[in-house]
Amino acid sequence: MPPGAGPFKGGFPAAPRGKSPAPRARGRGFPSAFRPPRPCHVMLPRQPARGGGRRAVARGGAAAGGGPWRGRSGAREASSLATAVAPGPRVSSMASAPTSKYNSHSLENESIKRTSRDGVNWDLSEAVPRLPGETRITDKEVIYICPFNGPIKGRVYITNYRLYLRSLETDSALILDVPLGVISRIEKMGGATSRGENSYGLDITCKDMRNLRFALKQEGHSRRDMFEILTRYAFPLAHSLPIFAFLNEEKFNVDGWTVYNPVEEYRRQGLPNHHWRITFINKCYELCDTYPALLVVPYRASDDDLRRVATFRSRNRIPFSGSDFPDHLACPWNVLSWIHPENKTVIVRCSQPLVGMSGKRNKDDEKYLDVIRETNRQISKLTIYDARPNVNAVANKATGGGYESDDAYHNAELFFLDIHNIHVMRESLKKVKDIVYPNVEESHWLSSLESTHWLEHIKLVLTGAIQVADRVSSGKSSVLVHCSDGWDRTAQLTSLAMLMLDSFYRSIEGFEILVQKEWISFGHKFASRIGHGDKNHADADRSPIFLQFIDCVWQMSKQFPTAFEFNERFLITILDHLYSCRFGTFLYNCESAREKQKVTERTVSLWSLINSNKDKFKNPFYTKEINRVLYPVASMRHLELWVNYYIRWNPRIKQQQPNPVEQRYVELLALRDEYIQRLEELQLASSAKLPDPSTSPAGPSQMMPHVRTHF
Amino acid sequence: MFSLKPPRPTFRSYLLPPPQTDDKINSEPKIKKLEPVLLPGEIVVNEVSFVRKCIATDTSQYDLWGKLICSNFKISFITDDPMPLQRFHYRNLLLGEHDVPLTCIEQIVTVNDHKRKQKVLGPNQKLKFNPTELIIYCKDFRIVRFRFDESGPESAKKVCLAIAHYSQPTDLQLLFAFEYVGKKYHNSATKINGIPSGGGSGAVGGSNQKTPFFETYSDWDREIKRTGASGWRVCSINEGYMISTCLPEYFVVPSSLADQDLKIFSHSFVGRRMPLWCWSHSNGSALVRMALIKDVLQQRKIDQRICNAITKSHPQRSDVYKSDLDKTLPNIQEIQAAFVKLKQLCVNEPFEETEEKWLSSLENTRWLEYVRAFLKHSAELVYILESRHLSVVLQEEEGRDLSCIVASLVQVMLDPHFRTITGFQSLIQKEWVMAGYQFLDRCNHLKRSEKESPLFLLFLDATWQLLEQYPAAFEFSETYLAVLYDSTRISLFGTFLFNSPHQREFAISKNIQLGDEKGLKFPSVWDWSLQFTAKDRTLFHNPLYIGKSTPCIQNGSVKSFKRTKKSYSSTLRGMPGSLRNGIISDPDLVPRRNSLILKAKPDPPPPPTSQDHGAEQYFREWFSKPADLHGVILPHVSGTHVKLWKLCYFRWVPEAQIHLGGFITAFHKLSLLADEVDALSRTLRQHRAGSLDAGHAGPDESRMYFRVSAHATPGTPDFLSSAFPFSPVGNLCRRSISGTPLSKFLSGAKIWLSTETLANED
Repeated sequence: MPPGAGPFKGGFPAAPRGKSPAPRARGRGFPSAFRPPRPCHVMLPRQPARGGGRRAVARGGAAAGGGPWRGRSGAREASSLATAVAPGPRVSSMASAPTSKYNSHSLENESIKRTSRDGVNWDLSEAVPRLPGETRITDKEVIYICPFNGPIKGRVYITNYRLYLRSLETDSALILDVPLGVISRIEKMGGATSRGENSYGLDITCKDMRNLRFALKQEGHSRRDMFEILTRYAFPLAHSLPIFAFLNEEKFNVDGWTVYNPVEEYRRQGLPNHHWRITFINKCYELCDTYPALLVVPYRASDDDLRRVATFRSRNRIPFSGSDFPDHLACPWNVLSWIHPENKTVIVRCSQPLVGMSGKRNKDDEKYLDVIRETNRQISKLTIYDARPNVNAVANKATGGGYESDDAYHNAELFFLDIHNIHVMRESLKKVKDIVYPNVEESHWLSSLESTHWLEHIKLVLTGAIQVADRVSSGKSSVLVHCSDGWDRTAQLTSLAMLMLDSFYRSIEGFEILVQKEWISFGHKFASRIGHGDKNHADADRSPIFLQFIDCVWQMSKQFPTAFEFNERFLITILDHLYSCRFGTFLYNCESAREKQKVTERTVSLWSLINSNKDKFKNPFYTKEINRVLYPVASMRHLELWVNYYIRWNPRIKQQQPNPVEQRYVELLALRDEYIQRLEELQLASSAKLPDPSTSPAGPSQMMPHVRTHF
Repeated sequence: MFSLKPPRPTFRSYLLPPPQTDDKINSEPKIKKLEPVLLPGEIVVNEVSFVRKCIATDTSQYDLWGKLICSNFKISFITDDPMPLQRFHYRNLLLGEHDVPLTCIEQIVTVNDHKRKQKVLGPNQKLKFNPTELIIYCKDFRIVRFRFDESGPESAKKVCLAIAHYSQPTDLQLLFAFEYVGKKYHNSATKINGIPSGGGSGAVGGSNQKTPFFETYSDWDREIKRTGASGWRVCSINEGYMISTCLPEYFVVPSSLADQDLKIFSHSFVGRRMPLWCWSHSNGSALVRMALIKDVLQQRKIDQRICNAITKSHPQRSDVYKSDLDKTLPNIQEIQAAFVKLKQLCVNEPFEETEEKWLSSLENTRWLEYVRAFLKHSAELVYILESRHLSVVLQEEEGRDLSCIVASLVQVMLDPHFRTITGFQSLIQKEWVMAGYQFLDRCNHLKRSEKESPLFLLFLDATWQLLEQYPAAFEFSETYLAVLYDSTRISLFGTFLFNSPHQREFAISKNIQLGDEKGLKFPSVWDWSLQFTAKDRTLFHNPLYIGKSTPCIQNGSVKSFKRTKKSYSSTLRGMPGSLRNGIISDPDLVPRRNSLILKAKPDPPPPPTSQDHGAEQYFREWFSKPADLHGVILPHVSGTHVKLWKLCYFRWVPEAQIHLGGFITAFHKLSLLADEVDALSRTLRQHRAGSLDAGHAGPDESRMYFRVSAHATPGTPDFLSSAFPFSPVGNLCRRSISGTPLSKFLSGAKIWLSTETLANED
């Protein structure tokens, strides 16, 4: 197709509009839109999204040096933490002797075991884990009111990263290790005159489905400084303090920030091609500050076209003034998320059209959708999945939004997926917490679970994603997904559909890329949804949308135990660090904000932690498959509450860790290797006196190569 | 009236020949044109041709054409058409692909579309209309549907009536097993007594152990010795069923009770069912079951005598702990009611409509609650036996219903022997068949009693919960449990047909007039070769269990994992020091105590257990440690742990099937690895023996269904699904199974046949 032959006139790369972009290291010197004359590979620098200069390995080792509070050995501590499984919140209840044994399956690091065995003689400074860059603030004697084992006397240590509590009772090994980022709310309980034992203290609500209660002495306002310090470091934004990720000086031998490179990822999908091109129209985030710099759009849509469309697809803000109102600028155009390698149908995403009460139309937008429809040579209609319930979409018209009407979009079919909004999800998760923490509702467990509607929401999200995946994989039509803003439900649907369609995303790195791409770069508002370092616990913007996505992934991995390279621990680790603020990965609402804060330069990526120790996160049953589309059964008959995540603090409910089936498999693998080794030895020994044993069919010499290739 | 040449489906391209059936077709003589395959003694009662078997409800394009017959054993649909869309079929040698044993039929519904009439057919009933449709609801949760549009209306009607009649026999003697045994006997008079004489080798592929039947003195004697029960003896006062017709001929009693005393006491017990020993812990505590003492005057005296005797048989003279099951557990009617609701919910009700309220509906059936109750109660008794060193007496009115479940579960938890296939089978012989569980009434083979109750299924379900929680502790797989359940619905095996051992023996000698009755027996269900090929039987093996019986190489010498019978439970408490405080530093490094890799030296002796440990404390401590799979296993019984046994209840529900998914896909990978480990260990043994012909370690020795082979492509075989090895294809009266699982989402329309909610309008 010759350039400019499309329905749009003058579609050739337009110069960046107006004021020149703020000086930045990356992407400069390249055309804002790249249109290959032929379907060939774009010759771009390997990492246009990031400039050179930044070193993968974090800044020097100075921090590991001295300090009164340093760990036994700085390096050792760092690495042991790096490998700790759930380095975030640890098991909350290694309580008194008998009950603490409940936690025998918990994932603990070695230092804890060591100290608890040493009894009273342990050295204070040795025992508190510390990350490079982590500094001690205070410590205090408190009573931890364990919901499972009752009050336990302990000493709490507060750093700028964590709250760490160790039991002072000799027969108890209780350890609490809670990153401050997990804290959503700190309340004082009781007053100076409160009666009753342990009635005066602090009640800390966490984002990870638990509460911590500490009782302190009533004399002399003993809780005041603890309250103030915790508030200060758990909510640094309110106190003009940096989030810990910017202080973290951990080093890993892998740089997680290099995992995702959009150009490489699009190239893997075979893009750009005849119909799709890569554009840098948004390279300075001027057009839309919640979109990434690099986008894939139809070949036939010029950058000017994109600008015109943008006005219709965002909310009632003028797109170009976006940076002042980052929260109100939604995802303006349909941009490509994924293209089917064979039938060339695509998944595109955006926000709702600005139809409004009057039923406004936008010719450019209509044309634009038609161009998308035509990219795969199919004449069928374009399928639009509006993630919302029908009524919500209608209601959105009142605020200027809406949905694509039949008469305006002749060549599109619209379906509503009935997924509720962030507020509904937040309330639903609250109810889940009510029935699982601290005690699991036993008498009517199933109906209580049903009344939370959590699994029902999971079901709807999965059902929607299945529909998207099916449309695309069957080649029926290309699919456009949007909700209201295009960064919550849309991200869930596109990423889950891609996980079903593309086995690449089921590998560890592939999944990291998927999260990095569909969630982080496309502007899921992590900062608002999680509230990193923010004290406003009741903020209506908070919602467990990403958690819900990970839950859906877990449900899929339960239904397809061999399809994912990663295991449950991988998912839990991601969730732990979604809150911990130890890594920069989930900070901020969008790519432009991250750029501004130089997150990739100043913080460490979660993927550095994971990829430098991948074995811990691998599913032994993983069988690599190409081109298999996964269709989970989104039925209440199969969906389960993720007990190992939501109820993990309860020692009585906690399921066996590690999973016995996995464990057994690993044991068998080891046994097999041992046998093979024995056989080799025997063969060596016997080869002297016996005829060549390799002629026997079951001889190890034939078994082994086969064995190795098979797994 | 109807065309002589029925229209045959012309569209065939969708028919995928099932990949697995090739060898079967070759290995067996090709079935002659629409001729039924009959067992010895089986006769065709009625038949009708040009019948359509419905495969999908929203389209008839997959329907199969053939002949429907009713024999005295089964209903059989014979067709030349291959099964569409079915990728795998686990073949039962006694039954064809479309067959349903008569004893498996729950309900027969006939429909006439045109007249809009329907009727649930009972025996000896008249049918006033010519049926156009026949729907069979099966006890194993299947629903089969036939249409008679092209059949002769009279013959269709006759077949329906025949099925109704033969599936609801009025007398025990009419069950097919009698025909089969008689015929087998006559046909094979010249051979060595024809039928498998009931030895019931537990051979499931590989192992040659026989399942003890507990019909003889020596079986009981061996069990006493195996458990090390001193103070107990085999009692033969019931030889020839002189004392009681619902007790076995031989059973075990306290040594201190003389035969004469027992004879006197027996009159006071309900059904003359005096105390029966089940099992002894290595600490000497015994598990005993007995009926209530009906003689009020004698009650206290006899009770005292019995308890004293049990105490005397305990090496530590410990007290007796009595557990009144009637007061603590749901009764048989409640269990039956729960099961009916469960079945209704899982199988009969429209899939989509039950989705929204699924969890609360499931809770309302109370089935899981009852499973929990039995597990919990059994676990408490484990505590009494194991930790408090007391003997336990299970009391129940007749001592032959709930006692069977509880006695079996306690033993499964305590004794790893009963987690092997042979052990599990011997447990069922001991605590169910010989103890007089009324299979005939509870399975309702004669379809007339109000006594139906799925206690045996409840036991299998509870066992499945344990298997689910301790997947490496059992030699058998969940397929084995499901197949075992199905076997109770085939009226061939003496094991599951009678109310007591006496009834079985008496029935056969009365019915079949022969010289040597003693030599004649009904086939045993444990003779699995009657139902499955050796290859198919390997699916019973749990690949996670592999390695337990495999010799492990250690320090250059091969040691067996076989444990002495006394050590298995007493080693439970020993803990490596590093685990004492309940923290594992790194789960990858710390092996389980039964780890294959690092087999620890004999554990230190258990610390003395104080007597006042509460059950709560006992459970807490137990759960705080890694489970010793060769020792006691205790169930988690919280609501989050007790789950629905999906394979059993969903296997015929197409919508619930996860294609290429489910636990079976991990099972498949495990099997391949276990097979390899097995092969390697065989090779090693041969090497050690200095044998040159290592080639004999052929695949035939393998105990795994899925094997490593040169041709197998890596990856998941495409016939696997969460329902494997069963296939819901062809089980109908529900929505289409064609295409992707999406049909249910995409078409909002509810295509649920009106016949589903049939009321019986006569």
